[in-house]
Amino acid sequence: MPRIGVYICHCGENIAGAVNVEEVRKYAEQLPGVVLARNYLFMCSDPGQELIKQDIRNGLIDRVVVAACTPRTHEPIFRKAVEDGGLNKYLLEMANIRDQDSWPHWQDKEGATEKAKKLVASAVAKAAYLEPLEDRFVEVTRASLVVGGGVSGMFAALDLANMGYKVYLVEKNPSVGGNMAKLDKTFPTNDCSACILTPIMVQVGTHPNIELLTYSEVESVEGSVGNFKVKVRKKQTYIDWDKCTGCGDCVNACPAKVPNEFNEGMNNRKAIYIEFPQAVPKRAVVDIEHCLNCAKRVMGTQPRIHSKTGEPILAPCEKACKTGACDRSRAYNPEGELIELNVGTIIIATGYKVMDKEPFKEYSPQSPNVITAMQLERILSATGPTDGQLKRPSDGEKPKTIAFISCVGSRDKRFHTYCSKVCCMYMLKEARLIKEKYPNINIYIFFIDVRTGGKDFEEYYNYCRNLGIRMLRGRVGAVDELPGDRLRVRAFDVDLGAPVELEADLVVLATAIEPAPALEELGRKMGITCGSEGFLKELHTKLYPVETSVKGIYIAGCAQGPKDIPESVSQARAASSAAAVPLTLGKVIVEPLISEVNQRKCSGCGTCVQLCPYSAISLVEDKGKLHSKIDEALCAGCGICAAACPSGVITLHGFTNTQIFAQIKALAS
Amino acid sequence: MTNEQAVADIINLSEGDSSLANEIRELGGEELLECIQCAKCAAACPLALAGFSFFNKRVIQAVLMGLRDALLDDSSIWACQSCNRCTEICPREVNPFEIIQAMRRVAIREFALPTLSIEGLKSLYDTGHAVYLAGAGNTRNKVGLPEKPPSTVANPEALKELQAILRKTALAELGIIPMEEPGV
Amino acid sequence: MKVGFFVGCNTAFNRPDLEQAVRYAFPALGIELDNLEGQSCCPSWGTMPSVDVVGWCVVGARNHTIAEEKGLDIVTVCGSCYGSLAESKYKMDTHPEIKEQVNNILKDFGREYKGTSNVRLTFYYLYHELGPDKIKEAIKYKLDGLKVALQPGCHTLWPSKVYYDKEEDPFHPRVLKEMCEALGATVGHYTRLIDCCGMGAMRSTDMEKSLKLVERKLLSMKSEVNPDLIVTGCSSCLIQLDTAQEFLRNSKKINFEIPVLHYMQVLALCLGADPEKVTGLAKTNVKPIIERIVG
Repeated sequence: MPRIGVYICHCGENIAGAVNVEEVRKYAEQLPGVVLARNYLFMCSDPGQELIKQDIRNGLIDRVVVAACTPRTHEPIFRKAVEDGGLNKYLLEMANIRDQDSWPHWQDKEGATEKAKKLVASAVAKAAYLEPLEDRFVEVTRASLVVGGGVSGMFAALDLANMGYKVYLVEKNPSVGGNMAKLDKTFPTNDCSACILTPIMVQVGTHPNIELLTYSEVESVEGSVGNFKVKVRKKQTYIDWDKCTGCGDCVNACPAKVPNEFNEGMNNRKAIYIEFPQAVPKRAVVDIEHCLNCAKRVMGTQPRIHSKTGEPILAPCEKACKTGACDRSRAYNPEGELIELNVGTIIIATGYKVMDKEPFKEYSPQSPNVITAMQLERILSATGPTDGQLKRPSDGEKPKTIAFISCVGSRDKRFHTYCSKVCCMYMLKEARLIKEKYPNINIYIFFIDVRTGGKDFEEYYNYCRNLGIRMLRGRVGAVDELPGDRLRVRAFDVDLGAPVELEADLVVLATAIEPAPALEELGRKMGITCGSEGFLKELHTKLYPVETSVKGIYIAGCAQGPKDIPESVSQARAASSAAAVPLTLGKVIVEPLISEVNQRKCSGCGTCVQLCPYSAISLVEDKGKLHSKIDEALCAGCGICAAACPSGVITLHGFTNTQIFAQIKALAS
Repeated sequence: MTNEQAVADIINLSEGDSSLANEIRELGGEELLECIQCAKCAAACPLALAGFSFFNKRVIQAVLMGLRDALLDDSSIWACQSCNRCTEICPREVNPFEIIQAMRRVAIREFALPTLSIEGLKSLYDTGHAVYLAGAGNTRNKVGLPEKPPSTVANPEALKELQAILRKTALAELGIIPMEEPGV
Repeated sequence: MKVGFFVGCNTAFNRPDLEQAVRYAFPALGIELDNLEGQSCCPSWGTMPSVDVVGWCVVGARNHTIAEEKGLDIVTVCGSCYGSLAESKYKMDTHPEIKEQVNNILKDFGREYKGTSNVRLTFYYLYHELGPDKIKEAIKYKLDGLKVALQPGCHTLWPSKVYYDKEEDPFHPRVLKEMCEALGATVGHYTRLIDCCGMGAMRSTDMEKSLKLVERKLLSMKSEVNPDLIVTGCSSCLIQLDTAQEFLRNSKKINFEIPVLHYMQVLALCLGADPEKVTGLAKTNVKPIIERIVG
């Protein structure tokens, strides 16, 4: 007969404010198998834990039930106490009488007390059937995968690489750099973005511990912390990167014109292109969709021979290539190459995308002079479509009046309810860069709130006001197109209490920051959910901001939510440090709360194999008979197989049928 | 001039006068651009509390937007009590009162000042007192005081000196009141 | 003890009884008043301060130099004069370029602004130079049992940085209260104590709006203190509170009258002055109050 000790926590007022703790204690005392029941103000405090340890040491109890808060945060603490007392740590059961009882039933004290009794009874019933289990340890693959080669991903990769770990850095574009590479200057110090980013890109590109996989995407992720198997698709570049020197001769020769993504569609690139001048790696890729196949040089076909010269007729790109990197005769696999990586931890740093202007019909997006702030960023950049000259798109004239419109798609229930956080500062920055260069240009910023929380940000804002940038509180309601490529901006000046109109030459929309495309799909591949706003969810907003619900997978930068460069870098470095912990330990504990098949009784129907979300179960043949086998390293203990097994021969340790039925019986009685 | 009508129908910012802000800063409103329109000043401003259309915060925003005409067409700024409570509480050290004073200085330069102010200036120049009641001598006698206080009104030399000083100020250049040298 | 008396316009021409009160009370307390012969307007806010900063300061500076030459501080009974003079002084003392321009003009008249004379307000001057206890000793009549509501006046408080005599907390001023208590008054607190009375430029620009402010103030006083007497610290407030009540009664905004006196008038009465000379121009009926004081 087990001897169960029940410990009921007041959690200060959190539980005791709704639950009559003493009544629950008295009730617990007379439950079958219970030899003692105690309550205490804070069970998780040292003296609280000591109660448990002493009772075990004194030989009074051999099973422990703690009725307190959530096992999510506190189970490890009480398991440790049980172990320190001298019992197997899995001889502990928790009843969550706070999150599941006192909090939701705060107004109904009587009901809360009754429910607490039920929850305690159920935990006690299960505790009677608890069995000792042993932890297992799994060796860790000492390598990490970082998904996303923006400033966050690069810093995460560099930190891990500098700690001595192998890092695979996967980037979907041909070059690392991300959105930051597109920026002209960066607030609050106005450093040239390329100047501070390029050295980081170069370090990433040359680090002996970093394997750069650009123009690549993650296809699937299997396994668990310590041992993830990741399939990465290297997209087809149609250029032999071992031979390509990034000279750009092929690019110059290519006659095709494709809207240039790097310049936010404001000019054209070629079908064969190098993403941007500072690209790392500086290699060309062929955008096969837009390739004109000049001289009928479809990839993988042999060239026709000139009837007179007898020479092969080549496309301009391959003709221009001096190294043979561009060779259209080669039979490239359009699917690229699928490679498999083994890593111990993963950091997701896939960044963000800025909304485009099209959805905002009230702001006349059809006008070329209505642009997004990211487009203005490219206009201001020396590597942009105007070589850094301030020209409005319609006619290349320098604008005399510029209006910025804030919160376009942010704080907007039609699009994103959240604040994009960086827009106030980037508007001020762009306005300041223009005003400092051209003091006579009139600049208006239409805002709802100026949110400049951040080190040195408010000072930046004050500086901008002092430059004569006009700040006007009032969300713009309409932008009308006027003759002469001009625009009429209409708002209500809250401070004057009157409707206002402004004729502008250029209207800049501070469009919202959105999750990167397919972020949700990537999350699904890894078992991480997105919040309602579409960004990946961290494990705990305050305490575990870089961890996710999947052990061993971490997040950094705007994949988790809008943030600026300083915050992104901080979070990236936090994530790399968290991701290094399992690598440094070299092994990870795998809880024994996993499924086991009674192989002798298994009929080999394969139902469980299909259902396992972790691909942990396979059918094996033994003496001419099929039966399922569970890979302990892959099993996450979800219990789907145990529930589904038609023969009832799968046991989920820690949640056995006997234990669960006992709990249900206690709850129902 | 009125102080009743809030603001004209639609304000055309494009017609805003971008030189106004600088003019205000040159005429004593140095800290104009420090204002972030928090409206703390207006919470305690007698002009706002009495229902005038332009008060400290609003004057500043109108100046920032260059709305010279709207400000000149309105007499609110002349009703400012100079109480300086705004100066005391402004968290940005804008000195909103001084912005209103500077706006008066702008208005005076465009001869957009109320008759009362012209009278005050004239009285200051002619007697040395902005407020001077010619019949006050009797009242003064009644309470046992000499007919004239010991100021410029009782002291022609002092008045002459004050007038000569005033002729060396901006007031003389503006030509708001006649300022001939007496006897010339 | 000697101090220069800056009379100003409103006191000299509108309420010379207040001037007389100052001229009675100071000597009665052993303080000699200098006439600052040749003084002019401070200048008032709507005149030179609204024209130009240097023009404002130079007129102010001329007044300052009259006192400086005699080595005296300036004392005023009017909040506006106090504010304008203190602020022009502050401007010149903190902005050397303004001071230089002012002195460039003044030097042709044999004057130079140095900044050596302080600008004081009558009751602050008495508070700091004599103190409430000395006043308590000096008075012949006491305000025993008289319930008083105060009107310190904006210009006596703000902007505190420009004033020589400062309240410890300008939003909860104590000096006028202590000075009235020294005379034996019971001072009641009301929540619109530091609100503007509406006198000044506002009254000249829009009488109706100006009356709105004084109405709010009077109603707060009446309902929260129900005073026998209003004591002001500023001559402008005196005029507003003394004259506005009749207007407000005529337009049925209020249905009461509270007598109004400046602190210096009450002090002069307590020191034994002829009531007719020091309060004779009051519009509100102050006779019953005077009877209660001097018996």
